[in-house]
Amino acid sequence: MTLPLVQINNLSLRYGNFVALDDISIDFMPGTCVVICGPSGSGKSSLLRCVNRLEDFDTGDVIFDGQSLKAAQNVSKIRSNIGMVFQHFELYPHLSVMNNITLAPRYVNGVNRDEAEAKAKKLLERVGILDQAHKYPDELSGGQQQRAAIARALALEPKLMLFDEPTSALDPEMISEVLQVMRDLARNGMTMLVVTHEMGFARDVADEVVFMDKGKVIERNESGSFFDNPQSDRAKEFIDRVLQKI
Amino acid sequence: MNYEFDWSLLLQEPNWGWVIEGISNTVQLSLMAWGLALVIGIFIGTIRMAKSRVLRLVGTTYVEIFRNIPLLVQLFLWFFVFPLLLPDDFMRAWNRLDGVPFLTALIGLSLFTAARIAEQIRSGISSIPKGQFLAAYSTGLTEVQTFRHVIIPYAFRVMIPAIASEFLTIFKNSALTLTIGVAEITGAAKTIEAYTFRGIEAYSAASLTYMLTTASVVIFMGWLEHVLRIPGLIGKR
Amino acid sequence: MDFSVISDNIEFLMLGLMRSFQLAVFTIVFSLTIACFIAIGRVSSRRAIRYPSAIFVNLLRSNPLILIVFWFFFLVPLITGKTLPEFHTVLIAFVVFFAAYFAEIVRSGIQSVGASQVKAALSTGLTYSQSMRLIVLPQAFRNMLPALVTECVIVFQGTTIAYVIGMREFLHSTSLVAERTVRPVELYLFAALVYLVICFAGTRLALFLEKK
Repeated sequence: MTLPLVQINNLSLRYGNFVALDDISIDFMPGTCVVICGPSGSGKSSLLRCVNRLEDFDTGDVIFDGQSLKAAQNVSKIRSNIGMVFQHFELYPHLSVMNNITLAPRYVNGVNRDEAEAKAKKLLERVGILDQAHKYPDELSGGQQQRAAIARALALEPKLMLFDEPTSALDPEMISEVLQVMRDLARNGMTMLVVTHEMGFARDVADEVVFMDKGKVIERNESGSFFDNPQSDRAKEFIDRVLQKI
Repeated sequence: MNYEFDWSLLLQEPNWGWVIEGISNTVQLSLMAWGLALVIGIFIGTIRMAKSRVLRLVGTTYVEIFRNIPLLVQLFLWFFVFPLLLPDDFMRAWNRLDGVPFLTALIGLSLFTAARIAEQIRSGISSIPKGQFLAAYSTGLTEVQTFRHVIIPYAFRVMIPAIASEFLTIFKNSALTLTIGVAEITGAAKTIEAYTFRGIEAYSAASLTYMLTTASVVIFMGWLEHVLRIPGLIGKR
Repeated sequence: MDFSVISDNIEFLMLGLMRSFQLAVFTIVFSLTIACFIAIGRVSSRRAIRYPSAIFVNLLRSNPLILIVFWFFFLVPLITGKTLPEFHTVLIAFVVFFAAYFAEIVRSGIQSVGASQVKAALSTGLTYSQSMRLIVLPQAFRNMLPALVTECVIVFQGTTIAYVIGMREFLHSTSLVAERTVRPVELYLFAALVYLVICFAGTRLALFLEKK
């Protein structure tokens, strides 16, 4: 029986009086693509940021690949096995796309420059922007920047990819090129946790959907079952509202 | 107004010698102090953003002390007080050094300016979007690595105008070192005026030095900003 | 170290501090007033006003204060034919110098108010100078208060330069006592502390105003 890649046990997080995460316990198996959705303020992004400990949780623990994050001495090393993609891309503006991608492999994993660049080229080709390798982020469109950011996250050959609303800041025409890359990743067996409002992606690509509200996991189901047969009222409300817009 | 101009006397000895020595000392002192101030200032500015509260406190204390005491007072402290606080052997060694005024001036100017630069670095770094930190950490870079490869280069480019203007500030502040015996250009001008009573010519030599330097740095800075332009960073935003 | 030398001479030293404050306060009042006119001149649409204002500001900002003081000490007796008391001459030099710096602060304060405010004022029938006086400058002042306070601290620190021409301000008084009692360590450390406390209070005030 395979062990879960990510085990979240009794995780709680507060900002002052505001409870962002309320005693959450949930597991994620390797090779699955999970969409996390819910109204804003439900804690989806906070949960994601706890998985690679970019947020320091108050109580509970996250066990990634058998290692406890709370007890970990060298969080940076653990983070190099998890890739993250942000809503606002967050490419380093003073570095070319190529250097954006090779920075971490060179300085975290000690890979030499030529090898890092060779790998980076393969990744750039995979996400479809090899010809932009030597441009600076500001010269790229939003969709190209996000694809570059995905390549940057993949450069360390992570076991897990976290996506925090990857298409929310994109113009509509560019959303599909990014979703396409994510779809390919999922098909190739990458374990992915995706916070998104793109319900089409959730339905077609995700294996499971997790619905959160007010810091708690309300419902979790296979994606098909979730949309056809939501169990909770909150989920029903949410799906209705979101699908109205599509 | 009863004044006989005589610009040629500037070119005569010993005046000309004083002018050249003055300009040379001013330039040397300014460049060296600026270099030192940058190194110290970047260090102090960075530790003010560290996670450790102790480091932050050290940085803030440094800045507040060196920023709030007037430069002239600081120069006096280094010149009159510092040697007396040294143990006897060190004090004797210090007094026997060549160019004690210049050295004192260098220390005083650099530490004073380092505090100003640290302030500018701090505000430069605080203006960086938090997402950049998150993105760097998420790829496994440590805090030190993140600052070295992402934050400081980014902040540096945005702060180039401020750093260049700090050079001009040091260049002008170097004039104060005449009080502790440094033969810089303003002191030279005063000496020439004392000997020749031709104040306008003498002070013009000094003013010209400062004004030409200011103009050159401003022009150079404009060119530099243009060359180092990160597409969209300086300019569009 | 014997700190009683400070308490023994405290009156003399405080007199010097008084003079430092006098110089600073007079400088601020006069130069700020002049600065307002220069700032308005800098944003004027008429070239005949804009160019000289710009030249004035750039000229003064390119020179160190101490050199400006030397200039005035030489020129004032030359031009007026008589020797003014040193406080007056220093004050003139300081006022002219800091007017340039205050002018830049006022200018950015004015520009932060936005052209549409002026247009709105003009459209109600106010003249340009009324708009400036009643609408723009009051708002500008609130915006530039932190920068003004910071500059005032700089003026106060600048009063130490009057030492060089022999005026009995605080630093000069300190050095006189230090020489006479041969106790430079105690005296200069005391002077540094006094300046530190006063200027720190000033910068804290500026920070507080910035947050409001």
